Amino acid sequence: MGVFVLLPLVLPLTAWPVARLAEQRLHPRTATRLLTGLAAVMAACSTVCLGLVMVVGTAQLPGNPLPDGWSDPEVRAAVPYDEVVGKAAIPALCAVLVAWGRTLWRHGRVRRSAHRALGGLPDTEVAVLPDDLPYAYALPGRRRDRVVVTSALLDCLEPAERRALFAHERAHLAARHHRFLLAVRLAARANPFLRPLRTAVSYTAERWADEEAARRMGSRRAVACAIGKAALVSRGTPVGTLAGFASPGPVPRRVAALLGPAPAVRSWPSAFTSVGVAAWGAAAGTAVSAMSSANSAVTMVLILHAATPL
Amino acid sequence: MAEHRQRPRRRGQGELEALVLSALREADGPATAGWVQERVGGDLAYTTVITILTRLLGKGAVTRERVGRSFAWTPASDQAGLAARKMRKVLDSERDREAVLASFVTGLDPDDERLLRGLLGQSRDEEED
Repeated sequence: MGVFVLLPLVLPLTAWPVARLAEQRLHPRTATRLLTGLAAVMAACSTVCLGLVMVVGTAQLPGNPLPDGWSDPEVRAAVPYDEVVGKAAIPALCAVLVAWGRTLWRHGRVRRSAHRALGGLPDTEVAVLPDDLPYAYALPGRRRDRVVVTSALLDCLEPAERRALFAHERAHLAARHHRFLLAVRLAARANPFLRPLRTAVSYTAERWADEEAARRMGSRRAVACAIGKAALVSRGTPVGTLAGFASPGPVPRRVAALLGPAPAVRSWPSAFTSVGVAAWGAAAGTAVSAMSSANSAVTMVLILHAATPL
Repeated sequence: MAEHRQRPRRRGQGELEALVLSALREADGPATAGWVQERVGGDLAYTTVITILTRLLGKGAVTRERVGRSFAWTPASDQAGLAARKMRKVLDSERDREAVLASFVTGLDPDDERLLRGLLGQSRDEEED
């Protein structure tokens, strides 16, 4: 088992370069799928290994369910992380499980209460709320997906820009972007090294919806203007991300991308570009992560099997 | 045009609908057709009030719910206002709503705002050229 069991905990670092490059160099749809896939596999491996290290760690605790043969010196030598690391894994795994539970619970609660808020309205796809706070949301639902938009936001947009706004929100719903966002959110809870992937995916999912809206509208400029105007009219609303960053925020980058040419659709970047190297690096890191967690899991099963007197 | 047996010559359809709707808006919560009839002033027949309310329901201007053997009516614009208030409460109470509700835009800091105005201005110039 050796040091391999700890590798999946740090291998998410191999995805940092591609998380940084993919949002600029890849088609947003490719980038979203690639980064979400990497994050999900790495989070799963990291959690499996945390669980394995925890099993080793519990060997020290009185009343553990492991067989007596576990304390055999030969077994101890095969699983070297029974001291500090093993014990540290217990609270770490508990923290991950609690964070997952809270994230899922909150996700469900926001969706339910948002649907309940719209309960009295006619059951239409678009719900226009008379509110002087400009905002628009795509609200996924089991029975019906809804687009929520306030009159304040619609009032400041031209007809073409309104169509662009609705096309953007419908693209979110049609491609089930909330699932990607939830997956990377859970992944970032499992391993803090995966947080840059969460930030990258929440940006590329917006870009994906922008590109889809631009394709449907046949005008990149209308979508750019809709985003720009909506952002300018709703400035001053609280920001969820870190403020005061040196690089431009997501909205100007989205508008600049739409004012430029449409990105090329490629399923996998060429290996001879920087983003290609980064993507292959992340893929290799994910593969090593998967292999070492599988290796550790098999070793653990074999050791437990050998240590059991049955 | 549906004919009104009561006062077809004196009041148009739109006028009657506005009258009924404004009466309904003065109610504290859902109101019955009888209450609306009293409020309007009694020169409309009960059946006419029902007809107008049904027509408003078809237009989505009012909603109704069954209370006992009759209906209680609520103006829909109030429903929308109520929904807006409830939604604002949901948004205010959830710090991490971004995870669930993909927002169309996020906030801007002053640098972003300057950059954005520059980008939009530039694109406008290009279009005019």
